[in-house]
Amino acid sequence: MTASTIDSRDDLISYLHVAMALEHATIPPYLTAYYSIHSTTNSDAAHIIRVVAVEEMLHLTLVANVLNAIGGRPDLTRPGFVPSYPARLPDGEDDFTVDLRPLSPEAVETFCKIERPGRAPSADARLLRAPDGGRPVLAFSPTAEGMRFYSIGEFYAEIIEGLEKVAAGDPKLFSGDPALQVGPEYFYSGGGSVTVVSDLDSACRALRFIAAQGEGLDSGIHDADGELAHYYRFRQLQLGRYYQVGDDPDAPSGPPLGVSWDEVYPVKVSARLADFPAGSELARAARDFNAAYGAFLALLTRAFNGQPGLLQDAVCDMFRLRDGFNQLVRNPLPGSDGLHAAPTFEIPAAAGSDPGASRPAGGTARAVIR
Amino acid sequence: MTAPSFEEFLRLSVDLTAFGETELLGTGLARQYLAKVRAACGDEIVTALLDAHRAARTEAAGDAGDAGSLDGILLDRVLLDRALRHRIFSDDRLGPVARNVIKLWYAGMWYALPPEWTDRYGARAAGEASTVTAASYQEGLLWRAIGANPPGAKGPGYGSWAQPPRIEDRYLNGATK
Repeated sequence: MTASTIDSRDDLISYLHVAMALEHATIPPYLTAYYSIHSTTNSDAAHIIRVVAVEEMLHLTLVANVLNAIGGRPDLTRPGFVPSYPARLPDGEDDFTVDLRPLSPEAVETFCKIERPGRAPSADARLLRAPDGGRPVLAFSPTAEGMRFYSIGEFYAEIIEGLEKVAAGDPKLFSGDPALQVGPEYFYSGGGSVTVVSDLDSACRALRFIAAQGEGLDSGIHDADGELAHYYRFRQLQLGRYYQVGDDPDAPSGPPLGVSWDEVYPVKVSARLADFPAGSELARAARDFNAAYGAFLALLTRAFNGQPGLLQDAVCDMFRLRDGFNQLVRNPLPGSDGLHAAPTFEIPAAAGSDPGASRPAGGTARAVIR
Repeated sequence: MTAPSFEEFLRLSVDLTAFGETELLGTGLARQYLAKVRAACGDEIVTALLDAHRAARTEAAGDAGDAGSLDGILLDRVLLDRALRHRIFSDDRLGPVARNVIKLWYAGMWYALPPEWTDRYGARAAGEASTVTAASYQEGLLWRAIGANPPGAKGPGYGSWAQPPRIEDRYLNGATK
């Protein structure tokens, strides 16, 4: 068995920052496919993608709770927190490209790969050397240079083992401020209930839940609550049929499910601001979306740093972002042979993004000057 | 007769609604609105409306407009306003149609043309008051213009109704929020 790459609280904090970025990175691809769907069409596909995207938001919140519980500071405004698309994710020995795509067989194939159960064939195959050059693979090790994980599942297994190991030697590991936890009173009707993290047991429960909801790790296609894992939700779009409890993974036996691949705006794959005509109204709309998204991530950062009530404002922002998303995907992108525009998720560097600046000190609302 | 051009309809709509092309296309309904106007009024009248609009823009471009293409020329807003009133809004045939196009964009609904108009220029079954699609109410520009969400649609998030409307600066005419 390979030596653990996690030896200290700081190592854990580094890993959990990578985990937050990883959870978030899946959301723009899901949303791009979701909003590419013509309104009032493809309700089956839209519903499946929406459920998964919302659960990824729960995962992001769960990781933030674990990070806060051990005294870290969630920060969604760090440079590189939002990857540059196409991004790369591990798929066993290989890695694969995650693009921002309209709903299409290619997009669903990518979604299946994102969520695919992936257990390394042996303990020492968990960590692999990341390919030199090119784009970094999102599930990388922040402590073992140049290494990435066999799968997202193995990435979380490493963190869970690291938590157990560090907690055994440091009884004060879980000494984070309980007021920073986002509880069910702030996060609700969002893909399952949120776990408040206060000790090793709740931390492991939160992280195992993430792995189980994504891949159905160890639990077959349905989990103990009868919920279908993400991977199998997307498989339904490929197989054209819903699963029922007790089904074989390759042969769902529920009602048929249709996808109208043509009822979709043909958005340009992983569009960049550079693809928009300089100085155009459309370029401004794309830039405005990115700025609004950056402000939204800054708001989430404050919510995860002592002001969980801000999540309610964040929900209103999500609806505004939806409107901005819809506006872009309905606009043809000039000079792209009929392809449509889409958000590029190139987040501008913003001033005042230090989460410490808004975290209340000692339970008062005074800003901390560091 | 060639079918009325979508691009010209879009340009007309920009001048009539004071919303940008990106915002109009962003409703996802521009093509359906053109189809509605054609069905309600007939291609001859839609083409005449687009011709009048092109002439108004040429007039507003002044000498620069003589060269032909108006792309990239900054039009004199006062001249354009005057030319639109002269060539379109005060015209017995085109004025009511143009007003209806404005209402269509703002309310997402086609209103029946006045009886004096249909008596003179003909009534069509598609000209009756009607909703264009289920999506047109919530995409109405009226909601954008007043910084509000369409009541009962386009969920804005719990409690968002307690916040003041977010009206874009360009619609405030110098007033403060």
